[in-house]
This record gives sequence, C-alpha cells and structure tokens, in this order.
Amino acid sequence: MTPYILRRLAQSALVLFIMSLLVFGGVNLVGDPVEMLINPEADQAEVERVMRDLGLDRPVTEQYWYFLVNAFKGDLGDSFIFGEPALKLILQRMPATLELACFSLFISLLVAIPLGIYAGYKPDSKVSKAIMAGSILGFSMPTFWVGIIFIMIFAVQLGWLPSTGRGEIGVFLGIHSSLFTLDGLSHVFLPALNLALFKMSSVIRLTRAGTREIILQDYITFARAKGLTEKRVVMVHVMKNILIPIVTVIGLEFGSLIAFSTVTETVFAWPGMGKLIIDSIYNLDRPVIVAYLMIIVTFFVFLNLAVDILYTFLDPRVRIKGTEQ
Amino acid sequence: MKQKFKNFKTFWRDFSANKIAVFALLIFALILFVAIFAPLVSPTDPYDLNTVSIMNSRLPPFSEDFGGNYFLLGTDGAGRDMVSAIFYGLRVSLGVGVLSGVFALIIGSFFGISAAFFRGKYETFIMRIVDIQLSFPSILVALIILAAFGKGVEKTIIALILVQWAYYARTARASALVEINKEYVDAARCLAFGNTRIMFKHILPNCMAPLIVVGTLQTAHAISLEATLSFLGLGLPITEPSLGLLIGNGFEYMYSGDFWISIFPGVALLITVASINLVGDHLRDMFNPRLQ
Repeated sequence: MTPYILRRLAQSALVLFIMSLLVFGGVNLVGDPVEMLINPEADQAEVERVMRDLGLDRPVTEQYWYFLVNAFKGDLGDSFIFGEPALKLILQRMPATLELACFSLFISLLVAIPLGIYAGYKPDSKVSKAIMAGSILGFSMPTFWVGIIFIMIFAVQLGWLPSTGRGEIGVFLGIHSSLFTLDGLSHVFLPALNLALFKMSSVIRLTRAGTREIILQDYITFARAKGLTEKRVVMVHVMKNILIPIVTVIGLEFGSLIAFSTVTETVFAWPGMGKLIIDSIYNLDRPVIVAYLMIIVTFFVFLNLAVDILYTFLDPRVRIKGTEQ
Repeated sequence: MKQKFKNFKTFWRDFSANKIAVFALLIFALILFVAIFAPLVSPTDPYDLNTVSIMNSRLPPFSEDFGGNYFLLGTDGAGRDMVSAIFYGLRVSLGVGVLSGVFALIIGSFFGISAAFFRGKYETFIMRIVDIQLSFPSILVALIILAAFGKGVEKTIIALILVQWAYYARTARASALVEINKEYVDAARCLAFGNTRIMFKHILPNCMAPLIVVGTLQTAHAISLEATLSFLGLGLPITEPSLGLLIGNGFEYMYSGDFWISIFPGVALLITVASINLVGDHLRDMFNPRLQ
C-alpha cells in the first residue's frame, strides 16, 4: 500500500505544480488589477508606487519564483483587495462552505438512497418510472436557475425562508455553525436543498443501477431460497453490497458539492469560499484566485486518494496495483 | 446503401419503442429549428436598437405596447421581447454547446483510439491524464481555465472542450480495445493499410455507437455548464447573450417580483437540456448489452 500512496502523492505534487504554473501564468495575462485598486485620477507616480507595493513591477517569472518559495512556507500571498493573507481569507470562509456541503449531502442521501433502491428493486412499477423521469428532470435543471426559483417562491412570494446570508451562528462542542440555531437552519435550508437536488439525481441513478445488478446475483437468489424475508434481503443483502459504489460516490459527490457551491453561494449570497472566488475573479484579486485554486485542487487530490484507499477496505476483491508483488 | 437503410429501420424500431424518447427527439428538433432560424421566426430583432424601446421595459407577459406590438412572454429590463431574446439565446447556447461537443469528440476519440491502438507508455500517459482530469468535477476544471484566462467566446469553448474530451477519450479507448481484436482489423493489417487508415476508417466507425451516447449526454451537460458559467459572469461576454446570461439579467429584477425575465429563459434551457438527456438516456439503454 505505501508505495502506491507515495506514487499517488508524487503524481499529485506534479499536478499541483503544473496547475500553479498554468494559473499563475494565466492570471498575470488578464486585466490590470492596479486599475481596479486605485483612484482613476491618480498620477503615474502613484500607479508605480502601487505596482511596486504589490510586486507587479517585477517580471512574471520572478513573481512566480517568490510565490513558490513562499508557498512552501505556507504563505500564498496577500489579497490585493483586503490586504490580508489569502490563505487566512479562504480558511475563514471554509466552514460556511463545508457546512452547506455537508447538510446538502445529508439531504440528498436521505432522499436518494431509498428512492434508488426502490426504483432498482421494482424497475417496472409506475412509481419507479416516475422516480427515474424525475431524476432526469433533476439532472437537467441548472442549479443556479433552481436556486432563483426557490428564492422567488419561498423568499419573495411566500416569505417563508430568508434568501441571503448565513443567519445566526451557534456554538456546539466548540464548533461554530449555523446548523445549531433555528435562524441559521432556516438560512441554510434553501441553499442546501438547491445544492442537493442536482446530486440526488445522480445518487438515485447509481443506487438503482447497483440494485438492479445485485438483485440478479446468485447470493440474492440463495438468500431468498434460504427463506429470508424480502425485507431482510433488501435491508441487509442488497444494502451491504450497494454500499461499495455509494461510499465512493459520497466522497466524490462531496467534492463536487464543494465545487458546485460556488454557484449556489453566489445565488444565495452565502458567505463561503465559493462566493469569495467569484468575487475575487471579478476584482482581479490574483493572490486569492491562485490560492483558492491551489487549495481546492489539493483538497480534491486528498479526497480522491482517501476514497480509493477506503474502497480497497470495503471491497476485498479490489486490489490496488503495486500492493502485491 | 440498402444495408444502411435496413440498419436505420431496425434502429428506429428500437428507438421508437420508448414513446417519451420519441417525443423528446421531436421537441429537440423543434428547438434546433428555432435556434437555426431565429432571425426568421422571432417576432422582433431583440438586438436592433431601432425597434427596441426602453419605454416597454419590464412589461409582464401577455401585454401590448401602444404601437400594437404583442409581448407573449413580456419584456426584459431594456424593453426587449422575451420570446425573441430566448430564440436568439437558444442559438448562442446550442451553438456553443454543439461546437464544443464536436471538437471534444474529435480530440477525445483521436486520443482514445490511438491509445488503444499503440498501447504501451503512450496509452498509460494519455489515460493517466484522463483519469486525473475526471477526478475533478467539470465545473472546477472550467473554473480553473476561466479564472486563469478570463472570459470570452473562444475561452468558454476551450474550457468546455477541455471539460468534455476526457469522457470521449475514455469511451473511445474502451470500445476500440474490443474492436482491435476483431478479424476485420487483422484483415486490414494483412492488406498493409496504414495505421491512420485502420484507426479512423475501420475502428472508429465501429466505436461510434457508444460515442454518440456520450456525445448526446455531454452536449446537454455542456449547454447547462455554459449557462452556469455565463450566469456567474465568467463565460460568454454580454455581446453573445446566451440563455445563461438572460437568466442572469433577470436575477436582479427577481426581488421586485418580475419573475418572467429569469423564469422563461430558464424554462427554455430546461426543455433543451432535458430533451437531449431523454434521448441520450434511451440511446444508452438501447446500446447497453447488459440490459438486453
């Protein structure tokens, strides 16, 4: 296992390096951040002073070198707009995003797994067909548009739920989250449901496909022949085997929820890191853009590695190449 | 030729077994027609400054202005007829989606089939890149490209191609690996045909079925992704008003209750994406040997 993990880590480091080169080179070609930062009436001396302060008067290669050296010390540069370390800004907003993603993952699994098993267990029933048609619809609905509709119905027309912000934040076991207050929960509900809807469709489809294949296996026939109740066959034998693809997907879906939260956060003005990156792109806040992309790619690299390792524990038939000599 | 026609007939018999898919195909054909002939079928030209009047701004659906112009779906903030804006928006959205899909299909199947054909280090290298890319969600890949290089028509198309090509490459390789062991490839080799000819004239046509399935589903995904990126202000510029931009425009009027500016372009987007997905989904079931 260890050589495999080491190889994966080396490969990930290479991916990160190439991406940093691409992104750093790219952002330095786009727009002029100085123009966004200073008074339009400022004279040339002022412009030059700002450029010197930000280090923009140096050649790009030199800037990149400084970035790399500092990145190894854990410093990803200071935001042009806020004047604070980019890493700190992102970490400050990370809990809000994680909270949103966790809650919506919870909603989507709670709804999707039972529906998916049912649709796979009785593929020809009317209800199953309705579930599948619904999942195609859910799959086709653009997340941001559904978010707008939610705001229109539940916030503007009915006035039941708030449409922006995070609400009151409670503390439980030292964790700050809006999931611990009623006001916070009312704020998180709409964005989380919005984010969950898209994921639900894919989890339903995956669970259904898994169930359909498992139900034909010999061990299910055998379990039935033993005289087990259908309830036990589904709840134990099908459930256990469906877990393998689902755990993989939970890991990957969680990552994709974090990536898609950029959209939901923008629609619902949720103060997470997804909204921060979109705002930073508008403001040409280069250090924050680069830092966010580096952090999120690192996050994905570890998430994928964790999923792959977990997979081998869940399914002993899977042997990672390189573990057996 | 006769053989081809017969193939088409059996294909259509299988396809039309699913009434919903046939209906979806019909809807999509209609949307495609509207998109291609937008300037002819639109009631007005929404981007002609002579006909658009700011006096008509934010009229609700079913209203009429003093000049006798009828606005079935209302008007937007600049007084443009929503029906026409949606027709023109479909044109941009479908154009970008299909164009990026075709390029991704060409690039992806080239790398996929050549990887299966040449094997060895080349295959490992290509497939490693594919695996790494597919381990990131598509929106993140697009975000990286557009955050780094800024928005624009070409950049959006490039981002969409980069998002999609890996899916085509994986599918093309998987089916090419099966095809390569068949006798007709041996026969072509015996005739000393060149590698390029074997790969693209012999193997590629036999890999088309799964590629078309991936193609329909990916195109739907690309259209939806472009709308998302344009809504966020990272995709197309305002000179190319796709459905995503129209929805984004309407978003600011949402809180004052002018729902139609955002909702109707969204409905058009949903119908487009859903009809393509329904067709693709049925095609996938048709070609899936495990379900037969």
